[in-house]
Amino acid sequence: MSGEPILPGSPLARVLDDYPVPPLSPGFADRVLAAAEGRAPALPPLRRARVERGWRIGQRIAIGAACFGALASAAAATGLLERFDIPVPSAEKVWASLTGAETPAVAAPVVRKPEAVTAAATVPLAPVVIEGPIDKPAELSEAFRRIDEVRQGRSEARRQIIDQRIDRAIERRRASGLPVPDAEQEARLRQRIDEAQTEREARAAQRIEAQREGLRQRVENGEALTRQNLVPNRQPKTGLLPDGRRLRELSPKERREVLRNMPPEQRRALADELLKRREQRQLQPVVSDPPPAFSEPSLSDPTGAPDASLDTPPR
Amino acid sequence: MNASGAPSSIATHSVDTGADAALAAALAARDPASLRDAIAQHGPVLHRIAFRMTGDAHEAEDIVQEALLRLWDQAPAIAARHPVGSQAAAALRLGGWLNRVVTNLAIDRLRRTRRLSGVEVPDSEDEAPLADQLIEADERDRSARTLIAALPERQRAAIVLTYYEELPNAAAAEALDMNIKAFESLLLRARSALRKAYAAGMGGDAQ
Repeated sequence: MSGEPILPGSPLARVLDDYPVPPLSPGFADRVLAAAEGRAPALPPLRRARVERGWRIGQRIAIGAACFGALASAAAATGLLERFDIPVPSAEKVWASLTGAETPAVAAPVVRKPEAVTAAATVPLAPVVIEGPIDKPAELSEAFRRIDEVRQGRSEARRQIIDQRIDRAIERRRASGLPVPDAEQEARLRQRIDEAQTEREARAAQRIEAQREGLRQRVENGEALTRQNLVPNRQPKTGLLPDGRRLRELSPKERREVLRNMPPEQRRALADELLKRREQRQLQPVVSDPPPAFSEPSLSDPTGAPDASLDTPPR
Repeated sequence: MNASGAPSSIATHSVDTGADAALAAALAARDPASLRDAIAQHGPVLHRIAFRMTGDAHEAEDIVQEALLRLWDQAPAIAARHPVGSQAAAALRLGGWLNRVVTNLAIDRLRRTRRLSGVEVPDSEDEAPLADQLIEADERDRSARTLIAALPERQRAAIVLTYYEELPNAAAAEALDMNIKAFESLLLRARSALRKAYAAGMGGDAQ
């Protein structure tokens, strides 16, 4: 075969052996030494250690898993997953599924028990249906509860209106270049308004409770109550229309139509009455001295709305 | 015994255990005498390999010088990896390392020369008239050089390392950074090509 070793003494070996190598030149060692002395020192080893490919991939996978876990935890903590109907089990449930142990029902009955007792004391379990006149204590309690719901909603709305009015007033003063209250003054103003509102509501609640006690006595005596008994006319209605409704109970469109169709004398009388009420409101005394730079508004009726204690029928 | 009659590199491999590690440590300490020792110990072998690879004495000296300077540069790292007296020191073979460096440098220069000039390594032979005996020897020399130069670089290295330097296949494969099977295949192809070239040029028995 042509790939076999070249045998010594063969013609090819004789030709190949006739290939003498000249010796190294005489000054070769000196030249190498001179080049070595003038050579720059070797660079220091790279600081970055050589990382194997497998561990590099594992490192990236670990970082990716950690990032995914952090994002998922953040989404679960902010309730984002529940918005998309993805159930997020609690840590106790997950641990119980891992260990096979049952989820301990800790404090669940303890927490719910007082709530149940309170609910049973105030609200009957079965929904109370009010049919016709109110002649049972349960129906009366249900009517009071509905009224309280409406009152609570009105109270919240009133507070929001107050806040909005304060904000608008401050913004208006700022736009006009007038002095505006600083943060401390504004906080004091809001606190005073809140206190006045709370006091007003407490007085109303006290008055209402006295009225309700009377109503309860009447129901216990077997008397049947009507809507008019629950919503008494505590003040003479002004601005009554021919059909018995008040002007403010109408929608803006209906109000405009009624005023347009009203006789001029009646319209003038109504306008005078409204003007008089507005002047009375403006003439009411201020609760405290205003600060020098900013005059705080009156707290008599920040919303301008009448007391809505019992004038809303149960719905 | 090789073609030039100089000691083969097999003798280089039979040095005392740990001697190369001690030499590396001395080189790392920047001892010029140790570099001179390294030149005396490995220079001739490296020069023969480089000369038979390139066919040019000056080119061969440049390659050997570059290899020895690389040893000088790498000596601290080598000495750190093979501390004297350790088991790693006993396995250190500077000759094998230098053979690999010289072979790779020679292959690189051959490829670069071919890329730049488009021809084989130039023949720098002196063409001045010589005596008849010198002319005859030169013709024989030139025929051997032509045969070797006709081989591709890696086949040329395989013949130089195994035939002229009589390195074992494993050592030659290590110098070419190949596994033993691939090197044996390369060596078979190199011998076959050599015989074909000899048969075509000389018309004699290639065995």
